[in-house]
Amino acid sequence: MRRPKGFAAALALLVGFLLASPAFPILYIDINASGGKRMPIAAANFIVASGDPSLTRSVPQILESDLVLTDLFDIVPQSSHMEAVTLAHFAGTPLSFPAWKVIGAEAVVIGRVDVRGDQVSLEMRLYDATQGTLMAGKRYSGTHRQIPSMVHRFANEIVHAFTGVRGIFGTEIAFSARPERGKGKEIYMVGMDGQNLRKVTDNRSFNLFPRWSPDGQWLAYTSYRTGVPLIYLRNVATGAEREVIRFGNTKSTGGFSPDGQWLYAAVSQEGDSDIYRVRLTGGDAQKVVGGWGLDVSPVPAPDGRRIVFVSDRGGSPQVYVKTLGEPEERRISQGSGYATSPSWSPAGNRIAYTARIEGKFAIFTVAPDGSDLRQVTGATDADCEDPSFSPDGRYLVYTYRKRGYSDLKIISSDGRRERTLATGLSDMGSAAWSPR
Amino acid sequence: MNNGFPWKRAVLALLVAVVLAAGCSKKQTVRTEGGPGSAPGDSAASAPPPGGEMKEAPITEGQVPPAGRAAKAAEAGVAVTEEKPSRFPDVLFDFDKADLTEAGKKICQGVAESVRRTPKAKVLIEGHCDERGTAEYNLALGERRATAVRNYLVSLGVPKEALGTVSFGKERPLDPGHTEEAWAKNRRAHFVLK
Repeated sequence: MRRPKGFAAALALLVGFLLASPAFPILYIDINASGGKRMPIAAANFIVASGDPSLTRSVPQILESDLVLTDLFDIVPQSSHMEAVTLAHFAGTPLSFPAWKVIGAEAVVIGRVDVRGDQVSLEMRLYDATQGTLMAGKRYSGTHRQIPSMVHRFANEIVHAFTGVRGIFGTEIAFSARPERGKGKEIYMVGMDGQNLRKVTDNRSFNLFPRWSPDGQWLAYTSYRTGVPLIYLRNVATGAEREVIRFGNTKSTGGFSPDGQWLYAAVSQEGDSDIYRVRLTGGDAQKVVGGWGLDVSPVPAPDGRRIVFVSDRGGSPQVYVKTLGEPEERRISQGSGYATSPSWSPAGNRIAYTARIEGKFAIFTVAPDGSDLRQVTGATDADCEDPSFSPDGRYLVYTYRKRGYSDLKIISSDGRRERTLATGLSDMGSAAWSPR
Repeated sequence: MNNGFPWKRAVLALLVAVVLAAGCSKKQTVRTEGGPGSAPGDSAASAPPPGGEMKEAPITEGQVPPAGRAAKAAEAGVAVTEEKPSRFPDVLFDFDKADLTEAGKKICQGVAESVRRTPKAKVLIEGHCDERGTAEYNLALGERRATAVRNYLVSLGVPKEALGTVSFGKERPLDPGHTEEAWAKNRRAHFVLK
């Protein structure tokens, strides 16, 4: 029996396909293994079927910058690529995977861009170069200025394909800072890649303590625009706002409950600050932490059952954890100094906070029961404050202040790697990382 | 095989069809979506639509954070960023404290006497802090300082209704310096006569 040559090839392809279709993603990279092996990945020049030819490199470059930020990938540079990707590769013709393997790439991304007026269609595919299989493929459509968002989304797909955990590209960091001119403070936002820094508020008063709703659609913040500090809820997309928490005197924003139903806040009455939560639909308020002492900075745990907060009931500000509905409020920060600004990790297993050590503030993380304290930032000549965990828990954003000069920085939660996210504004503070 | 039907060719065609169909439907993508790391409640953009070719993931205005959309035109701000001059000196405080010192009490006594002489006077007491520590904590501390001053004025016979408090935390330092001397000036209660 004479077997047609294509038969074996087709069979091999079919078998290969079946083998490469696990019910669960194969975990190629363990993101918890610090300093582990990086995955070499190549992003080929994209096919520009119609539109500005420079997109052929500018679009994959966005992808490359994203992947570099993860510390999980090494980019195989475009100059070493041997195979020219064509439209046929989007219509069934397989890539020559050995040509990618030989230059060290274990994964290849190809893409095609179609521009019609302001409408853009962007298709991206991720291949495993060893097995020759498609790991992820998406086609996005939208307007021209959404190209970075489309690439960020696909970068998240790539991270998910290799680690089982979605990436954090496209997330943003809200913070307060003094504008270039003026003495007030406005709320700003910047992409986690350091791009697209912009002002959110512009009312020339003090605008402080931005906090994200769990769905990322709302920012709660504190503003002096009427002359006294009031808490507002702002729709991020439309800018529409309403005031929430209409009782008490001086108040400051805390975190949202994980179900988005409650906003926590510190509210001062008769000079004593207590912690309340207010139902965002309906407006009823509950006192959560009271008694003597300034109780501030409430942040609910991801499980919604506990909160972390700051209290000076013991003589100096310290970090406490409380299970809602139970009387015990357990101090988890150590020493007699000054410990504030808690942030709960998305998995609920760590709490980051700021504490003073030898006259300067540094970032620490600790287990919610107060055990396993670790110092994250090591600057001895600057104050590192206001930590906020990334949505995947791998990073912390924080403010770095040295004599009036300030930076927004991102550090891996083990403290090993760090980069500056935003610079040039003075007095940056209250950084808050958006959800995915 | 012996009835003349081209079995071999049919099987081959079927296999090729299966492979092509598999290649087109991108089943791998679907599988990875359901993995342990997939985000529940993920937006529709990455949810696999039933069947079809490569997943169409429409990006619409509503799903993407508005890039560069400027905030609404400057909202009506109140000039809270400039200090209003006072004919009373500031009451100063120790670090992380809201207790009145003897000097602070003397200043309050002067304020009380002045308010008693002008029956319709209203006084706003602003609490301020130095730049060290968290903004939230300092905001509460400033309120505690302002309230300590208000309570002392009330004990001296000033009607509570004539007094208001607000905290500026560490947001509006009198001295923008970063020295002990500047900090000492910035831990204060400031009187604004209305």
